[in-house]
Amino acid sequence: MTQQTFLMNHKVGKLLSNIKKVIIGKDEVAKLSVVALLAKGHVLLEDVPGVGKTMLVRALAKSLSCDFTRIQFTPDLLPSDVTGVSIYNPKELQFEFRPGPILGNIVLADEINRTSPKTQSALLEGMEEKSITVDGTSIPLNKPFFVMATQNPIEYEGTYPLPEAQLDRFLLKLNMGYPSQLEEIEMLKRTSGTHPIDSIEAIMEKEELIELQQQVDDIFINESIQRYIVDIVSGTREHAKVFLGASPRASIALMKAAKAYALIQDRDYVVPDDVKYLAPFVLSHRLILTSEGKFEGKSERAIVEEVLAQVKVPIDRGVQ
Amino acid sequence: MALKNMHNRQAILDTIVYIGSFFLFWEWLRPLEQITDTADIFIFVLYTAFCFFLSYMQLKWWIGSPLKLVGLLFILDGLFFYDPFLSKEWRIQFINEIQFNISAMMNQEWWEMTSIFRSLLFLILLWLMSYLLYYWFVVAKRVVFFVLLTFIYLTVIDTFTAYDGTYAIVRTFLISLIIVGLANFQRILMKEKIFRIPKDKYVSWIMPLVTVILLSSIIGYAAPKFSPQWPDPVPFIKSAAAGAGGEGSGSGIKKVGYGENDERLGGSFVQDETVVFHATVENGQYWKIETKDVYTGKGWVRSNDDEPFVDSTDGSIEMNDFSPVVETVSKNGELAFNPTEKLPKLAYPYGVSSVSANEPVAFYSYRQQSNEIYALNTEGDTTELIQYEVGFHEPTYSLKALREVDENADPEEVKEQYTQVPENLPERVQELALELTAEETNRYDKAKAIEDYLDSARFQYSTTGVAVPGEDEDYVDQFLFETQIGYCDNFSTSMVVLLRSLDIPARWVKGFAPGEEMDQLENGQRVYEVTNANAHSWVEVYFPEIGWVPFEPTKGFFNPTDFTSGLDLEELINNQEDKPDVPASNMEEPKEEEKEENSTAARNWSIDIDWKDVFVGASVLLIVGLILYVTRFKWLTWYKIKKYRKKADLETYVKEYKFLLALLAKKGLKLQSDQTLREFAIEVDKKLHTIEMRRLTSQYEKILYKKDPDETQWGKLTEHWETLINRILTNL
Repeated sequence: MTQQTFLMNHKVGKLLSNIKKVIIGKDEVAKLSVVALLAKGHVLLEDVPGVGKTMLVRALAKSLSCDFTRIQFTPDLLPSDVTGVSIYNPKELQFEFRPGPILGNIVLADEINRTSPKTQSALLEGMEEKSITVDGTSIPLNKPFFVMATQNPIEYEGTYPLPEAQLDRFLLKLNMGYPSQLEEIEMLKRTSGTHPIDSIEAIMEKEELIELQQQVDDIFINESIQRYIVDIVSGTREHAKVFLGASPRASIALMKAAKAYALIQDRDYVVPDDVKYLAPFVLSHRLILTSEGKFEGKSERAIVEEVLAQVKVPIDRGVQ
Repeated sequence: MALKNMHNRQAILDTIVYIGSFFLFWEWLRPLEQITDTADIFIFVLYTAFCFFLSYMQLKWWIGSPLKLVGLLFILDGLFFYDPFLSKEWRIQFINEIQFNISAMMNQEWWEMTSIFRSLLFLILLWLMSYLLYYWFVVAKRVVFFVLLTFIYLTVIDTFTAYDGTYAIVRTFLISLIIVGLANFQRILMKEKIFRIPKDKYVSWIMPLVTVILLSSIIGYAAPKFSPQWPDPVPFIKSAAAGAGGEGSGSGIKKVGYGENDERLGGSFVQDETVVFHATVENGQYWKIETKDVYTGKGWVRSNDDEPFVDSTDGSIEMNDFSPVVETVSKNGELAFNPTEKLPKLAYPYGVSSVSANEPVAFYSYRQQSNEIYALNTEGDTTELIQYEVGFHEPTYSLKALREVDENADPEEVKEQYTQVPENLPERVQELALELTAEETNRYDKAKAIEDYLDSARFQYSTTGVAVPGEDEDYVDQFLFETQIGYCDNFSTSMVVLLRSLDIPARWVKGFAPGEEMDQLENGQRVYEVTNANAHSWVEVYFPEIGWVPFEPTKGFFNPTDFTSGLDLEELINNQEDKPDVPASNMEEPKEEEKEENSTAARNWSIDIDWKDVFVGASVLLIVGLILYVTRFKWLTWYKIKKYRKKADLETYVKEYKFLLALLAKKGLKLQSDQTLREFAIEVDKKLHTIEMRRLTSQYEKILYKKDPDETQWGKLTEHWETLINRILTNL
């Protein structure tokens, strides 16, 4: 591990502790969000309102000195509200492009399932293609580009659940969960004066973040672990209670996430633990259960755990 | 209250298990009466019970030991002494006994030991066993090992001795079920830390055990008993060792001896020292029976089964297998057969001229090509003679003449009949023959070169582990180039085929080797004992003008035929340096060696094997082996620590780590297949209160998953490894 990467990792540590100042007791979600950020993926946060989803994203954006934009999805939102729109400027006698919120670095897409599929896909296309098309011209998105979408799992009235193909575009799906009693008390203490979000400072430049993202690609992953990943992913396809298993894109996602996770763990190689730990976050939103499985009340996460219990962890030196 | 309950319960269970162990040990004592000269076994059993009881009471050693000692002396008194117990005379006699026996032991004169002393030692052994079993069953709760040993002991005793273990096995089985069941129950309670269980739960646990025991004993008692599924191994082992041969073991191993069918040679056989005949003759002879001429690639057959017989009513025989130019000496001999081993054809020496039997024979019938002689009775049936005399002109071949024959003067019919080889004989056989004889200029030296080659260290003589050629293999080719291990058939057939590949006429001869000299009579005749193990095959090579001359390619056998140099004395001296291996001169030495070998071999076979010793030795080995196996991790660890301390590198570390995993698995901490090493390491460290496993694992992970594992701290790791191993051995 070179001195430079060490410093970088040091920065990742600082980044996490920065977020910690604002969000109490959600270290894991913060860490996994950073994993997705470093792996150039996106996160779907699923939880009830008021548990700090927005605060988390804001803390992250602020620590990174990146442009933070927010899209509040409502049923009447139009695609152009996301991408931006060309407006005729009578002074200049030409159309002028007014960029939409998607052209930020860190985008919070709040309650993404409340808007129509048409608007959803405007965002999702950008997530996948890293560019958007407005009035026939293709506009590349900023780098880094990181979307954190939230959805409320309780309300079903007037929502448009994201289709399977769209869900696949999120690297990780996370749940915030409520803080514990002690954590909540601590939270009250902290917010009594000025809100901590106002006092945190940026600790990483955009360029540094981009460099870290490139380092993720250099993390070594042994062939045996690649096989382990494929075994897990194909295991979800063979599971009796699964109607549609995870796609090969899921294998790639799991590998990328594992590499990013290895990096923030100060390692330049992936171990099976990385894969095993990340698999539920990477895979569970990519599965469609059979109706039988649904009636049994099985969660996708439980299915992934069942698969993990059946796949053999590579512990031999066979493949180097 | 709960604690008291638990203690009570434990005490009851312990008592039952310990009593069970006594009954098991009793099973060890029962056979002694029958298989050793131990009498009054009941007294020993009583003493054992006494010792077990005292051990169970857990008395202070200074109470228990004197009590046991008194019991011991009391038994000795009852068995051997006439004077009043512990009187002065009694003590003197006792001390004298001890002194005498100790001095006998010092001098290793084991047979001098008296029965008092042996009984004393035996009683001490019983005393020690009571401790040992108390420890095993009550303290350590290791029941299964002793149960297993008991079963092994009983089955071995039942197999190898006169002891009938049928009921012993049934009893042992019952006791074992009870104590294993109870011990297991207790272990589960301890493991799960259950201190109190309701009374009805006891019943629900005890009932299945009782049911299983009752049911299995009823079934065991009522069910038809299989006779042994394996044949009793003792007779077979004895017969194999004594060379008596089993009754067709069916394993493809043949019994050695003379047989008619040679179509398929190869395979191992059991030595058979049964006497076939005693020959009284002046010197050792090949006892020829027949020759064969067609080699099929697998064995020998005869080309001409319709060869005419020559009949002789007066017993005169003319084989014509060598010409009159060969010098001969007239001799006679007598063959007396073992009535159970008579042969259908006559065995006779080279140069046979007459046969006369002591029983009525109408006429003799013989063939000049295949060289067989039959004796027939008046009805024209073959009779197997029990005794007959042979007159013969023993040939002496002149080496000079043999060397000087014209190789191209073979008669056509001889050449045609005796140079046959199979069409698919691999070419390398001929290539070898050519190579071996490249420097030889005459037929005799060529034959000798091949004979010497077969006698070389390249080939090994053995009657076991000999291959049978496969469907597309040639018997000779296989022996010469692949296996190079075999017996006379391999050597003789190979020599014939090698010669024939050079177009030298040769044939395959069957009969008996000269046998072992038993006695020398006053008239100069010697008595030879010929057994089935002397059944033999050798080679005859045709020399124009001279006839068929025997050669002996088989390792360890010698050619009894007489050869003379045929040279003048002066020439002989001149030539001796060039030709040191003239057969005439090396005849004597191998003869002596051979004799010696034969006789030692015979002695070895005839030693009576003491089966009791073998049994004791085998049991000791078995027990030692079991103990080594059970404790393997203890001594393996010790050995590995020593070994790895010296080496510190990646490979060693991988071995260390794998050993660690195996050790943990043996101690009950097994790495599950879905478990990562890290998860496992955390589990282990938690259990042992260590951090070493995590340290070791993170290094091992680097080896497994890192691109290029750095090799810096292996020495340090070995230290951690040692610490952890010691921790495992003490804590788990």
